[in-house]
Amino acid sequence: MTNSASETLIEMQNVDKFFGTFQALKNINLEVKRGEKIVVCGPSGSGKSTMIRCINRLEKHDQGHIIIAGKELTDDVKDIDAVRREVGMVFQSFNLFPHMTIVKNLMLAQRLVRKINKVEARETAMHFLERVKIAEQAEKYPVQLSGGQQQRVAIARALCMKPEIILFDEPTSALDPEMINEVLEVMTDLAKEGMTMICVTHEMGFARSVADRVIFMDAGEIVEEAEPEEFFKNPRNERTKKFLSQILTH
Amino acid sequence: MDAVTGWWDDYFWGSMVVLQVFIFSLLLMVLFGLIGAAAKLSDNRVAQKISAAYTVIFRGTPEILVILLLYFGSAIFLTSVAQVFNPEIKFVDVPPMWAGTFAIALIVGSYATETFRGAFLGVKPGSIEAARALGMSNLQTFVFIRIPEMWRLALPAFGNHMLSLIKDTALISIIGLNETFFVAKQAIGTTGEPFTMYIVVGAIYLGFSTIITLTVMGLEKFGLRTTEGAR
Repeated sequence: MTNSASETLIEMQNVDKFFGTFQALKNINLEVKRGEKIVVCGPSGSGKSTMIRCINRLEKHDQGHIIIAGKELTDDVKDIDAVRREVGMVFQSFNLFPHMTIVKNLMLAQRLVRKINKVEARETAMHFLERVKIAEQAEKYPVQLSGGQQQRVAIARALCMKPEIILFDEPTSALDPEMINEVLEVMTDLAKEGMTMICVTHEMGFARSVADRVIFMDAGEIVEEAEPEEFFKNPRNERTKKFLSQILTH
Repeated sequence: MDAVTGWWDDYFWGSMVVLQVFIFSLLLMVLFGLIGAAAKLSDNRVAQKISAAYTVIFRGTPEILVILLLYFGSAIFLTSVAQVFNPEIKFVDVPPMWAGTFAIALIVGSYATETFRGAFLGVKPGSIEAARALGMSNLQTFVFIRIPEMWRLALPAFGNHMLSLIKDTALISIIGLNETFFVAKQAIGTTGEPFTMYIVVGAIYLGFSTIITLTVMGLEKFGLRTTEGAR
């Protein structure tokens, strides 16, 4: 396990992505090692979400290479499914399955994808629901929960698959302010336990306390990449400075 | 109502015919609707065009005409096929039951095509993405996520399609299907009491459609249980 700390889990090399003629990602190069926590920020439309959606191939990149835990993402469906098993994702709008109870939401993919039996899947589900402090809601339906609770369920659902990496796509942006902290707490706990994470977020407090590196994107490019202290104190790029001044003034 | 007395068993068997036609045409209607919707949603231009033609033709012509054309058309077609093998054959009779079942399933299936297509598009993309991100295959996502969400969206319109089907069974009497309407016409011929005889038909259809309506209501309640309760 000593050298696993330096093992590269995510590698993006010269990745380009187009939506029609619009270039959403320009020459993205990113390397994430096991256990690293990366926060990605930037103005809307800068390609943050697109970048992490390329990592589990919800979006298909057009140029360059993406290698996840040693497997390159190509059109091969087997490779894509293999990668998706290792990469969890938490969405801005939770995306729980509305027709299933909370515990069933957590069991479904375990059973279908990991081929785990019902009893074991339920145990795992309850274990992670307890970890996100929501076990008492197990038999309810998503719509009966608050946004913050739903997002914690979504995190638990991703954890049930025992992924190597979790991607967070603006996990707190759709939440009422009083619910943001409960979600950030869960994310911070995860980070402490050594989970490899990429978070697209504008929660700069979270970035400061948790991130190993902060990445700033604008117009489809990675403009700046630095440790949080450096990033917030001495942003080098003009666009980063402007962005930080805008979001940190209030 | 005395006039009806001798006709109850005919009405009963007529009702059974209605039920049988309804069940088979329901299965076919779902099949046609799903195929039509899949074709409209596919990337294949030819499939899209065929499905579009299907919905235009069958939604745009009188139902009774479709039944007649299908019945006589298939009879003529089968006769000519049969004559290739045996020139002695003068006419191949298609059972009105099957010609009629097929015809009304095609008609209502053209409406169901649009219902299913709308329901497919109505499923939130987020659920689908979440399933894909969890590593579920396309088929698994379709069966476990899209179908359960789709049927809830399709149900209200689908209830109407079922009512159309049950009422369209009455039209099949025109090609000689021995269902309740047909029974009523025969009974009128001997008793000369059209009002009474048609009232019985009306009651039978009302009975069927009430069962369908209640079933759909029950299903809707079941489907909506996930959105009920304290927020």
